[in-house]
Amino acid sequence: MLLRKILLGAPVLVLGLLIQSVLWVPTYEEQTRGNPRRLVQFVTGSLGDASLLNPILAADSASSELAGLIFEGLVDRDEELRFRGRLAERWEIEEEASFLIHRPPKGCEGMSMEDLFQWLQEKLGSWPQVKRVEISPGEERRETVEVSEAGTRRKVGVRISIPPKVKVLLREVDQDFFQKLEGLLGDGYFSSFAPEVHCEFSEKLDPATQKRLAGELISATEHHPIITFHLRKGIMFHDGSPVTSKDVLFTYNAIMDPANLSPRMPDFEPVLRIETPDDLTVRVVYKRLYSPALGTWSMGILPQHLLNEEALAREAAQRGLDPKTFSIRQSGFNRRPVGCGPFKFHEWKSDQYVILKRFDNYWEGPPNYEEYAFRIIPDLLTQEMEFYAGTIDSYAVQPHQVERLKGDPRYQAFSGLSFGYTYIGYNMRREPFRDSRVRKALGMAIDVEKILKYVLHGQGERITGPFPKQTDYYDHTIEPIPYDPRGALKLLEEAGWKRDSLGKLVKNGQQMRFTLITNSGNDIRKAILAIAQDSWRQLGIDVRTDTVEWAVFINERINKRDFDAVVLGWSMGIDPDLYQIWHSSQTGPNQLNFVGFQDPSADELIVRIRQEYDHEKQVDLCRRLHRIIAREQPYTFLYVSKWTAVLDRRIVIMERDANGNPVYRRITPTKTGNYAFHFNRWIKLPHVPVFSE
Amino acid sequence: MISFLARSIVQKLVTLFFVSIVSFAVVHMAPGEPSQVDPMNPKFTPEVVERFRKAFHLDEPLHVQYLLFYGDLLRGKTVSWKDNQPVLAKIWERFLNSLPLFLVGSLLTWTISFPLGVQAAVKRGSLLDKTTTFTAYFFISIPGFFFAYLLIVGVVEVLRVPVVGMETFGLSQAPLTHRVMDRIWHLVIPSILGATVGVAELSRYVRSQMLEVESQDYIRTARAKGLPQDMVHYKHALRNALLPFVTMFGLMIPGLIGGSVIIESIFSWPGMGRMAYEAIMARDYPVILTLNFLSAVLVLVGTLVSDILYMLVDPRIRL
Repeated sequence: MLLRKILLGAPVLVLGLLIQSVLWVPTYEEQTRGNPRRLVQFVTGSLGDASLLNPILAADSASSELAGLIFEGLVDRDEELRFRGRLAERWEIEEEASFLIHRPPKGCEGMSMEDLFQWLQEKLGSWPQVKRVEISPGEERRETVEVSEAGTRRKVGVRISIPPKVKVLLREVDQDFFQKLEGLLGDGYFSSFAPEVHCEFSEKLDPATQKRLAGELISATEHHPIITFHLRKGIMFHDGSPVTSKDVLFTYNAIMDPANLSPRMPDFEPVLRIETPDDLTVRVVYKRLYSPALGTWSMGILPQHLLNEEALAREAAQRGLDPKTFSIRQSGFNRRPVGCGPFKFHEWKSDQYVILKRFDNYWEGPPNYEEYAFRIIPDLLTQEMEFYAGTIDSYAVQPHQVERLKGDPRYQAFSGLSFGYTYIGYNMRREPFRDSRVRKALGMAIDVEKILKYVLHGQGERITGPFPKQTDYYDHTIEPIPYDPRGALKLLEEAGWKRDSLGKLVKNGQQMRFTLITNSGNDIRKAILAIAQDSWRQLGIDVRTDTVEWAVFINERINKRDFDAVVLGWSMGIDPDLYQIWHSSQTGPNQLNFVGFQDPSADELIVRIRQEYDHEKQVDLCRRLHRIIAREQPYTFLYVSKWTAVLDRRIVIMERDANGNPVYRRITPTKTGNYAFHFNRWIKLPHVPVFSE
Repeated sequence: MISFLARSIVQKLVTLFFVSIVSFAVVHMAPGEPSQVDPMNPKFTPEVVERFRKAFHLDEPLHVQYLLFYGDLLRGKTVSWKDNQPVLAKIWERFLNSLPLFLVGSLLTWTISFPLGVQAAVKRGSLLDKTTTFTAYFFISIPGFFFAYLLIVGVVEVLRVPVVGMETFGLSQAPLTHRVMDRIWHLVIPSILGATVGVAELSRYVRSQMLEVESQDYIRTARAKGLPQDMVHYKHALRNALLPFVTMFGLMIPGLIGGSVIIESIFSWPGMGRMAYEAIMARDYPVILTLNFLSAVLVLVGTLVSDILYMLVDPRIRL
């Protein structure tokens, strides 16, 4: 019966055909051991694909990681997290401080303008920090401003008569310069400036509006910090064209161009203008004091000649798209980028891999690896299998996986503190959290050591404040709050909360009652939720808990301030600017100070930290802020978690000695825990080497 | 026939219109925002977020957004918010990746299920029947991801060959035959995995369908005539039992765009399911809605095709 034969034969045939293919596939041994190419190739596994390989647009970690290898910024951080020059060989930071002579200074009444200028030149010129003094005469300017009154907007003309202006070039940035200057010009010289006197509006407005508008148009004092970068000579993009100051200017313009929708825009908003006096000099003038400024120039530099208007117009025409709406965001450049970093782009297959090749003309000398492969493997267990087999060199290893690999002589493991922390935040707009004693007592009731041991398997450390623990800004002398439930009860009693006969914590006949929430999908936070609930219940507090889906959690609870207490985490950068999270002006809806922390002395410190360019002074200010926040306990700071990484032991650092012979060193993390800091010097050897040290 | 087609197409267009409204509403009602306007990123100031919302037309009223989106879709102009790639090109690329998986998976399902089901029905109550029943329920019940891990670990430990991805990484220099075979090998494990549930279910259908036909009067007549057993089973019974399955071909069409998220993630397969999943996680509305729309189209085409097929194979049915 033919049909029967076909019916039975077909599956056997199909399966046989399919399964024989295994004989053609190279085994793991053939791929790794017997393959010399594998030694000059670094393969990393990633859970997600990159989206836009462009430093000004990248917003996800995969894109940023790859863009970091392809592109290079003007500066970055060295082993100790100090700034170090990359494309910029060196830089100077100075300040142009300017002020208006709106009335004669103390002791100069009745002096003529010329004499006054002479006097100022002499006085200021003798200050050691002053480089140069320039005086420009007063002038008149006409502008139109927009006024919105009772819901309608209209344009109003205004004539501004600007008094004579003095520009002082300072050797370094000094946020207290004008206070010092008041010693010379008379106390309250600048605060007595009334901007509305100098503005004449073309129509009548109410005095308050006039004052506000005038204040926006003209101000008595201005700080303009200036960073001058001197670029290295002879640096080239991967296509061979030189990196010049024009490219730096272009990158800035590209970020600020609204059509590109760059998420990095806020970093560069304080820039007033950029001057490029020659091909290797970039002068960045800022609108105001903004100490994170230097760090923003770690932004990768784009090649101007591939992305300027003509290049974009050409590309749009080629692809038949409307040149008017065609921006860098649409450009094919983001899928085959050209930068000046240690690796150049080679190939990208969506959701499979991205391959970079070594850039032989890299200014610091080419990396040891010839190829960098970024494989997308969206499953952790599959990543681990591939790692064991030797087809990937590094992956997002989990703490429990590190435990498995620890004793294995084939691998080396690293771990370090991450930048960020987990905390319990209290909504300080609500009772009982208005009282800092209550917040502290709640913190004292939780045994954080136990959380570290049982929830994090030891992969974390305690933290006491809002700065990353591995930076100088963190004050290590501040002790974490002790685990002390009795002490907590005493503190609560001081705040008026007493335990009644049933063991309930009561004030004015009401039991303390609140809800602790967190987002769902994070098992560690969920565990903390349960631990905190249990600890607080033992004090006699009626604690409910809830986990909420992330989007609802953020939009409905956090942003609308509809929560009592919340378990959350922040990830942070190195810069100590905490304005958005802790300043009292950031407590409005959708802003990040959602716990509603308000403290005038903290506010002042936060603003001063933002404006301080001197590292030592900044560290001092930060430690004072750290102390205030640790005292006020708006959060119960729980812990900072550790990252883990595992590498094949055959991967080492290779350097050349004076005779050009290779010298091998073991990979050791830097002081701040960055094990990949010397990545360009890494190489894989056929055997585990014996180190001399 | 023509009037049936015309009526059917009009009905389906109306359905499609409602599907487009409902799916658009559901996507926008789902909590969360596209990752580009994530309010919890301290780097994003409200101005940046506002600019993104404007660029994505998220500041317009919903019905305007609806018109803008479907206008773009019909002109083939939608672009993904995540990476600004044209959505249709993206989907096509992923479709080509998922297609072999779908084809091999279906091939395995259909070639294995029929002999299994028919044999189980013919030898009803035998050891074979009981074993297949047991295994079928076993495979229907086992969680897919767990079975996948077992398969991968087993194959890797025993054979020491790679299984994840569409091809062995870094094999671009190998000769063509090796590369082709390598591709086929990478198809085998995920297809087997995808086929197991299919085989388990389909062989059950085949069995029960066969049993039903076998109990019909005309089969008894055929037996009574003294026809050989094989003739009775394979010619008289099987042919009639096949009828309902013909229509299933039509209903398979939407599977083209489905793809399995779990299999594709575990096997690092750059297919449609994974793209859809990632688009949903990133709230990449253009990709989600386009996929949704296309699958709605395919479902409707599928039902139409199955109606027509049914009509062709079963002369009793007139539409």
